[in-house]
Amino acid sequence: MYYHTLTNINENFMYIYLPIAEQPIHSLAILGVGTFLGLIMGLVGVGGGFLLTPIMMFLGIPPPVAVASVANQLVAPSVSGVLSHWKRGNVDFKMGTVLLLGGVVGSSIGVVIFNFLGKIGQLDLVIKSSYVVFLTLIGSLMLSESLNLILRKRKGKVSRGKLHQHNWLHGLPFKTRFRKSKLYISILLPIFIGIIVGILAALMGIGGGFIIVPAMIYLLGMPTSLVVGTSLFQIIFVAANTTILQASQNQTVDIVLASILLLGSVVGVQVGSRFTNILKGEYLRLILSTLIILVSLKLLTDLITIPSDIFSVIISR
Amino acid sequence: MKFLLSLHILVLAFIISYNVKAKNQIVADLSQENVKITTDFLGAKILLFGAYDGQKGDDIIVVVTGPKGLVTVQKKEKVFGIWVNTKSVNYINTPKYLNISSNRDINKILNQKTQKISEIGLNNLKIRLQPGKKVRKEKEWREALTRNMLKSKLWSLNENSVSLNKNALFRSYLNLPSNVITGQFEVKILHYRNSKLISKELSTINVSKSGVSAEIYNIAQNYSTLYGIFAVILAVLVGWGTNLIFRKV
Repeated sequence: MYYHTLTNINENFMYIYLPIAEQPIHSLAILGVGTFLGLIMGLVGVGGGFLLTPIMMFLGIPPPVAVASVANQLVAPSVSGVLSHWKRGNVDFKMGTVLLLGGVVGSSIGVVIFNFLGKIGQLDLVIKSSYVVFLTLIGSLMLSESLNLILRKRKGKVSRGKLHQHNWLHGLPFKTRFRKSKLYISILLPIFIGIIVGILAALMGIGGGFIIVPAMIYLLGMPTSLVVGTSLFQIIFVAANTTILQASQNQTVDIVLASILLLGSVVGVQVGSRFTNILKGEYLRLILSTLIILVSLKLLTDLITIPSDIFSVIISR
Repeated sequence: MKFLLSLHILVLAFIISYNVKAKNQIVADLSQENVKITTDFLGAKILLFGAYDGQKGDDIIVVVTGPKGLVTVQKKEKVFGIWVNTKSVNYINTPKYLNISSNRDINKILNQKTQKISEIGLNNLKIRLQPGKKVRKEKEWREALTRNMLKSKLWSLNENSVSLNKNALFRSYLNLPSNVITGQFEVKILHYRNSKLISKELSTINVSKSGVSAEIYNIAQNYSTLYGIFAVILAVLVGWGTNLIFRKV
């Protein structure tokens, strides 16, 4: 009997009751998840949110709380990441500011849409299917891109070529020079990208890095070395805006959950960012794209397999 | 500790039962009347015990009902290959916690009609559909409600879980899961003889948030914008702090 009592205490010690999610959760498991995702984030510059939000939902955290709390935790590793990249001169602050202006507008719109979807009971579906669509699209794009690059390098044919492709997007008005990124493009383009990413960020509980990084590389034509730092810079503000709006409108930010996650992730980011200059960009993208595709497959399976009970209940608090 | 508690209960119960014998009464007490949800809350197990003026063959049924309110049942259907919530039905006046315990099968204690009249049993609750909406195949939805509430452990039916002793003492455990809703819980202890209610006792359990957990919840509700700003500042400080620490390493 005494033995039994003791083991009970030890097990219970690891659990912490989340005041907003209104349920206990294993604190070490959450800390581990936070650290792992911080590592990915530090290595690739993206990936904090898009893996974290689904994992939180798999662990039984209600989707609105998961989305809002992940947005909160994203602020910390982003701040920490930007500071490291800044030291190495890898942040384009002008481009970042333009992007974040769009991002703040976009995330505000996103929270409004989020509330509406919650009211009509389709939040879960929209979150999951947006993940499937975006992750599949971006994952396969990145996968083929990085594979191509790796194969070409193996053959020894590396053509430097132009910095980026010119297309109709570069013909838009309000052209501005972004000295750091060596770009002369319309300011409307990054603002527009910011808005779209902001909307998705608020809806999906992500910083938006996995959309904005490819957009910066392929649409804006920014140098890869600047992309990670600059995207982290704008994520700080998009995530902060989402957190404050979710907290004030829906009271869904669980500060306890976010704190445990962010403690793990800040350490992970620091460790991860130390290896970015060692690991090659195309290999990093190969790993990330594989991860993206795996998550998207898992979510797709959830959407198309027959649920164990086609009925579910929502208990209003 | 456990031994002392049970000894205490035993003594108490005997004192009570001495008084009970005369009056055809039932007396009950709970090991815990106030359940506090703190940061280490993992659910609660409450001991319900007492004495009754019984004879051989008497039965005890315990019904614990939590706060009542709106519960929505959703139904998924396959739309273009994806399972989507397409329909929903709102039930008002639904207990968000319900525990029915008895010393043997309720069907053996009471007939169906009496169960229905006295609202005992998962299917005899006076739960109403939200007015203004017609529902086809209501039975299917009502069954889904019961099934899902049982699955979430917020509802439970524990026949054979009340133990009786010498026709004078009874004892039962009550489990409040970690996802329990805060509020007032009504405890009804019913004493039956030959399917007739001969005495009953009412009691309440208060479930509330307490300590740091309660304070965080209250701040999040009442000062929501400030709470959001604080959450962001905290995250910024932690991010910045780690950077300072790691710079020196």
